Amino acid sequence: MIEARNVSKFFSVVNEDRTADGITAVLSVSLTVEDGKILSLLGPSGCGKSTFLEILGGLQAPTEGSVYIDGVQVLEPLPSTRKEMDDYRRKYKFLSPLANSMFKNRPKHDIAMIFQDYAVFPWMTVLQNVVFALKLRDIPRREREAKAMIYLKKTGLADSLSKYPAQLSGGMRQRLALARALAVDPRIILMDEPFAAVDMLTRERLQDDLLRLWNETGITIILVTHDINEALYLSDEIVVFSANPGSIRNRFPIETPRPRRRSDPDLLVLGQRIEALFKYDINHESEYSI
Amino acid sequence: MAMNKNKYEVKGARSTFRLVLRELGYFFKGAALNIFSPEFLVVFIPLLGLWEALPRLGAVPRTLVPPPSDVAMAFWEMLTVRNFLGDVASSMLKFFMGLGIAIIAAIPIGVLMGWNIAVRKRTLPLFQLLSPIPPPAWVPITIILFGIGLPMQTFLIFLGAFYPILFNTYQAVKDTDPRYLSSARVFGASELTLILHVYFWHAIGAIIMSVKTGVAMGLVMLVIAEMYGGRTGIGYVLNEAKDYFQISRMVVCMVTLGVIGWFLIEVLKFVELKLAVWKGVR
Repeated sequence: MIEARNVSKFFSVVNEDRTADGITAVLSVSLTVEDGKILSLLGPSGCGKSTFLEILGGLQAPTEGSVYIDGVQVLEPLPSTRKEMDDYRRKYKFLSPLANSMFKNRPKHDIAMIFQDYAVFPWMTVLQNVVFALKLRDIPRREREAKAMIYLKKTGLADSLSKYPAQLSGGMRQRLALARALAVDPRIILMDEPFAAVDMLTRERLQDDLLRLWNETGITIILVTHDINEALYLSDEIVVFSANPGSIRNRFPIETPRPRRRSDPDLLVLGQRIEALFKYDINHESEYSI
Repeated sequence: MAMNKNKYEVKGARSTFRLVLRELGYFFKGAALNIFSPEFLVVFIPLLGLWEALPRLGAVPRTLVPPPSDVAMAFWEMLTVRNFLGDVASSMLKFFMGLGIAIIAAIPIGVLMGWNIAVRKRTLPLFQLLSPIPPPAWVPITIILFGIGLPMQTFLIFLGAFYPILFNTYQAVKDTDPRYLSSARVFGASELTLILHVYFWHAIGAIIMSVKTGVAMGLVMLVIAEMYGGRTGIGYVLNEAKDYFQISRMVVCMVTLGVIGWFLIEVLKFVELKLAVWKGVR
């Protein structure tokens, strides 16, 4: 179970005239995700949903609030007072709080993450990419290849084991990222606009692949997207984010049973409601700014 | 998978030897084709011809500009009478010691500096203060400290090659794409794993590029070091030729240095091709 309690993230930026500005990327978001569910975070670009996902994954520390995965805190919030700052420095010494450890490979939490631009390592072949992830999870050396092969077969990459990511198409690269994430048997997968960079047909195929693999494994998936149809088709619950500051606007549970059709009337109606929300926000914003 | 492994084991040492031979073949073929390509020969041969013709026709004084045939004669004479190859070998020994120490020292320090801000803050200013000192300015104090000979020459070559390798490595490692770091960290990578498998490979192209710069700077320092002290080496022969006004010998030394530099760059290109295989594939 993932639990976010009042998570906020502020950034400070320096303007051209050397004045400082604060940006609120995420404002007091509380969210609970049950095991085995697919949850979509939906919102316009720049509404802080990716930042929130990175906080969930422990890639950024929240400014306030905290995230718990199965009751264990992911990253403690950044220090705000001088005393906290001193404690923080003493605790982390020269390693950043994001680091796992100096010498021992050991994930902090049982999660995997998939990024929009794949983030598969271009200097490793398809097989090496997956084997590397398994090595990081302390799988014994002789089991790694066999295990990698299972997931590469499931994602249809068994024929291109010795290819480099540069030789693959966008869809195949994303499948490699999926295979690499699934191979480590995570309990939670965080996805940051995973299918945004591929064409529509490939995207639909990848979504079906994802659903099939989710059915087989029963992992928890948190998906960040700006594609309403994708969110409708995949998720058990849609959380709509609003921008400036990024916070939860609405939550829509979807009870439509799987397998779903993309043209399911219930889904389409819900999609229209969400779209209307977005449009209202945009109009409202422009009125406000004039 | 297991079957594949067996296949490799059966092949054994002979096939490894054959593989090395084949790779060497590719290397020399590639390197030679750069120079002996028809496109370049069309430019190169007329240039040589012009160089040969001008002194012979008296357009430039032959005593000052020796034609290539004279240079070739001088080269032959140096090989047979003066044991020029011994000088080249002695120069190369110093050069590779200096360059080797520079590579062994600069790459790890550069990687550590790029990896961690705490290391960077403690070391970078020192190197930023020392690196603007032109390496030749180190010559007098080096001679006093090390005396004249191999240690002094090696140290000077090391100085020439060290800073370019260090700074380029550091910069490239620092600019590692954070996406790759994030995805490895989520899988649980320790910092050591990140350094060995992510930072280093992400920077490998820039590191090899910096070694090329290091080779160029090392050659500069080789000549300077040998001109200032020692009894052997290409730089020493060059200096000696200056004293006796043997211009064709100087040209032989210069051409030799040029060929050595060219050859080393070709070697590095080949290394890059082999190490950064993924960059070539499309």
